[in-house]
Amino acid sequence: MAIDGLIILDPTGRPIIQSSYTTYPAAYPLLHIEALNNALAKAPREGSVDPVIYVGELSCSSACCHVEVGGMRFLATISGDVDPLIAFAFLDAFTEILQDYFGVVSVATLKDNFDIVYQLLEETLDSSGHPLTTSPNLLSDIVLSPSLISKLLASVSATPGVPSVRQGGSFGSNGASGAFTSPIPWRKAGVRHNHNEILFDVVEEMRGIVGKNGTTLASNVFGKIESNSKLSGTPDLTLTFTNPNVMADCAFHPCVRLQKWTRDNALSFVPPEGRFILADYQYRPPQSAVVSNVPIPLSLKANMDMGEFGGTFALTLTSRLIKVMENLELKFYLGEDATSAQCTLSSAGSSVGSVGSADGSWSFNSRTKTLQWEILNMRSSGSWILRGSWTSKIKAPRPAHAFQIRFEIPSYSFSSLKVDQLRLSSETYKMYKGVRMRSKGSIEWRW
Amino acid sequence: MSIRAPRKGENYELSVDLNSEYRDKRKDAIKRVIASMTVGKDVSGLFPDVLKNMQTDDLEQKKLVYLYLMNYAKTQPELVILAVNTFVKDSEDPNPLVRALAIRTMGCLRAEKIIDYLCDPLQRALRDDNPYVRKTAALCVAKLYDLKPELVIENGFLDQLRDMISDSNPMVVANTVAALTDIHISATSNQPSDSTSDPAVFSITSAILNKLLIALNECSEWGRVAILNALARYDATDDKESEHICERVVPQFQHVNGSVVLAAMKVIMIHIRHVRRDDLVKQLIRKMAPPLVTLLSSPPEVQWVALRNINLLLQKRSDLLSNEMRVFFCKYNDPLYVKIEKLDIMVRLASDSNVDALLSELKEYSSEVDVDFVRKSIKAIGQTAILIESAAERCVNVLLELINTRVSYVVQEAVVVMKDIFRKYPSTYEGVIPTLCANLEELDEPEAKTSLIWIIGEYADKIDNADELLGIFVDSFIEESYQVQLQTLTAVVKLFLKKPDSSQGVVQRVIAIHHDVRDRAYIYWRLLSTDPGAAKAVVLAHRPPISIPRTTVSPALLEELLGEISSLASVYHKPAETFVGHGRVGADSVQRKGSEISDAQKALQTVVAGQQAENLLDFGDDSAQDGQPSGLAATQILPSTPAAANFLSGTSANPLDDLVSIFGGMETMDTGAGSLSTALSPTVTSLSSPFEGFGGSSAPPSQPAQNAQPQEDLLGLF
Repeated sequence: MAIDGLIILDPTGRPIIQSSYTTYPAAYPLLHIEALNNALAKAPREGSVDPVIYVGELSCSSACCHVEVGGMRFLATISGDVDPLIAFAFLDAFTEILQDYFGVVSVATLKDNFDIVYQLLEETLDSSGHPLTTSPNLLSDIVLSPSLISKLLASVSATPGVPSVRQGGSFGSNGASGAFTSPIPWRKAGVRHNHNEILFDVVEEMRGIVGKNGTTLASNVFGKIESNSKLSGTPDLTLTFTNPNVMADCAFHPCVRLQKWTRDNALSFVPPEGRFILADYQYRPPQSAVVSNVPIPLSLKANMDMGEFGGTFALTLTSRLIKVMENLELKFYLGEDATSAQCTLSSAGSSVGSVGSADGSWSFNSRTKTLQWEILNMRSSGSWILRGSWTSKIKAPRPAHAFQIRFEIPSYSFSSLKVDQLRLSSETYKMYKGVRMRSKGSIEWRW
Repeated sequence: MSIRAPRKGENYELSVDLNSEYRDKRKDAIKRVIASMTVGKDVSGLFPDVLKNMQTDDLEQKKLVYLYLMNYAKTQPELVILAVNTFVKDSEDPNPLVRALAIRTMGCLRAEKIIDYLCDPLQRALRDDNPYVRKTAALCVAKLYDLKPELVIENGFLDQLRDMISDSNPMVVANTVAALTDIHISATSNQPSDSTSDPAVFSITSAILNKLLIALNECSEWGRVAILNALARYDATDDKESEHICERVVPQFQHVNGSVVLAAMKVIMIHIRHVRRDDLVKQLIRKMAPPLVTLLSSPPEVQWVALRNINLLLQKRSDLLSNEMRVFFCKYNDPLYVKIEKLDIMVRLASDSNVDALLSELKEYSSEVDVDFVRKSIKAIGQTAILIESAAERCVNVLLELINTRVSYVVQEAVVVMKDIFRKYPSTYEGVIPTLCANLEELDEPEAKTSLIWIIGEYADKIDNADELLGIFVDSFIEESYQVQLQTLTAVVKLFLKKPDSSQGVVQRVIAIHHDVRDRAYIYWRLLSTDPGAAKAVVLAHRPPISIPRTTVSPALLEELLGEISSLASVYHKPAETFVGHGRVGADSVQRKGSEISDAQKALQTVVAGQQAENLLDFGDDSAQDGQPSGLAATQILPSTPAAANFLSGTSANPLDDLVSIFGGMETMDTGAGSLSTALSPTVTSLSSPFEGFGGSSAPPSQPAQNAQPQEDLLGLF
């Protein structure tokens, strides 16, 4: 007994799709839906509902774990003493599968493809509550994705009466024997590609908090090596780094041989087909200081002036990097009673000339009461300035005491992790290899 | 048999299409049937038509038909019988996917009549060449056991499952373990507890242990969780074996899936108890920190579960994350439930070395917009002051700064917290009192008022205008809440004892009104008039210094919960039996665990717990336990007592009642061992609700009973 079932609710709280709950009374899923909807309705604001809601109405009391996906609520009900994390991990895996299949996960795509969603649900979650196959590699053999179906239909120019490619059991038996007799649980056997390639995306995300006085209170960099493998046969790969010591607290995809990593800091693995996350790590800078914070790549100077029924501000952003930062976004919550905001943009000291409107824009969202400032390209020199004022319905406005800043830095990594080489053994073909670095950050800057 | 639908309408059209000569049309019709089914339309009338489409080479179509069957199997089992032959035939299909699908669906149908046909195909499937079929069949046995255990035993499926633990395919092993665990759980829970026969269906032996450890590294994340949960149940034969298990399980910390990490933590926490090598224990503990920190980079829901577990782990191993406090700093846009857990953990991690960073964070949080979070942050400042003596002064300074903001709820919460600091460090921060008193008008919450009144009473001799200040409350006495009235009364008596000359008038003004308040007033009056020395001994008695337990649950419960790491129990910080099924029994056993302490200790703890309750400084604020963070604020609001209702409707007519309750009150005073405020404060009773019983280590459910007992005795005397 673990996860009793999964229910997908539309934005209004009505179920769209749910697993069959054959072993439970009919009221069982309804009670959970109601419990969740009640909790959501009672919540004073978003994000204040506990992620695990206890449902005690039934003799076998249970709980529902819920997450928001594309405006919908995915709800996993659990009974007995089960780790809620299993439910969340499963929800996460299931969402990823849906993304794999449909691209966008929305009410419309799920309703259009409900038959596929049902099949996926059946394959991934046993009615006794145990998650089954969630590896996209194996699932793609059992449940065809809609894009593949349409491709097949198009190529066969469906004439009524003529058996389509999918019928005749050929796909089923081939897929099955391929998928489930494979000696490697995460990889299907007998994969063939004309063009063999494997790509690695090293994505590092900085999460930081900067205090009032501009000192970094906390900053952590979490890295991920995302891979996309299209290799034939059973490729045995060894990935080495010139500076593997920057990766701390690693977690790996099950395909990685842990002993090899502990022994020579090399990632030795037979990859699954397609996209997967090879490793997670945290970047710890050399232990020079007591507090090992990673330096924040930008700085913000905020001059705030709070008045009655509003206030004025002047924000100056400066990059500390040589690289160009992209899609920088600063958000500032102006308080529940904020009514409007007026701003002007300018820049200073930029060698490239004046900053055009394409480089920056601001907006005030009157629903979320948030001021948003966006800079698409932030070059290394110069600074960007946002001056403005806002109004509020109350005399002493209470805006947030922190700015939320997000940014992306292409072709950059905080850790300067460098791939040394990728060796392929056990197969003879030549493969194309690619490594890309990408960084992003979300910083809370207090004032 | 089923009645034909009328020859018109949607169902009729579907029925025509289901019998179409074209495959595509039929398949499309099946999809539409399923679509109608999911929106709750009754399409059971189409059963025979759908059934005709069950025999097909198209796997997808077959799945959809199976889906339909599963939906109606429960309500119309007699119809499902018609499908049995196809199921049996499918279970011998050359395509392993079809074989597995047939077995899985038959297991789900839960119709008595189908089950009899299930055994033979299941027997075959368990021995199938294809691992996919075998692993599906393994789970099917557990489902069959759920319905008809005797069938499983008669057919020898259990033995077969036990053999399958040695299967060459790790996924089969994992599913077998999951199935055996399910069967084990349902077998042991159905067994009457006094039965002598061993209900263990799945006892793990050393031989099985090794097979599990091998399969652990090779199966999927879900399989690993199942195996790890089984390992957690294993009783190691000696410390060598415990060490072995720990060493083999530790690499699971490096799995990307958080639920695997937490399940591995559970195994380690259980088996580490028997590890004797100190170096290994240290090493294991050191290895636990990084994966926990990594979990905090996950989405908020996962963070929350992780934080709840971390909270528990820290109570046992306080050194676990001692250098990682910064990871727990709250961000402005963290969800409230995450913030509150982080706050709790930050205070837990507080030490001399990081207290400055902690305080500046807490001060920051106190200026946020969210009232609940602000209050909780201010409480955390108080907790820090009480935990770390060397930092107390800094905490007080922060509190003063907060009071100077003059934001109403900030001031009120800070006053409450200040009272606790006064109790912990008596006569240390008297300089603060004028500032507190200056904000007297700001206070409108009973708890803040009582706190300030307590402070005034306690330091009456140091405050020049104490009689004036108390006079303000005496003036509005009638309008004040019950709690404030009692506190005012006590404070006035304290004032009288300390400054008899200037305050007699005030005392006489208070002796009035509500009968419960008046009862206490009479006691004081009699004490004061007969023996002022005795009054001093009672009213100004030395109170045991306030302290905060490092744990929110009793040691026995903590041990049990640690075994439940990575489970719902660890999230709720309650043992599983309290919310899984046998609720009643569970509640009892918690009480039993709580009462494993000697009576003397209990009495002492009663006092301490009362103070904690009063101070609201207990860590285990039940925000998560009742599933509502807003419960936080609720705990502070004084419940309207029935006594208050009495007060409104005029005093009791029966003089005997009054007398009795006076003596009752006296009696309680004695048992209360000099802690008047504890014994008489309504907050105590309001907070020793069952939840606090879990939260505070020993909040006494016996308190009301103590009150009642002497009353009865005295009645007997009359």
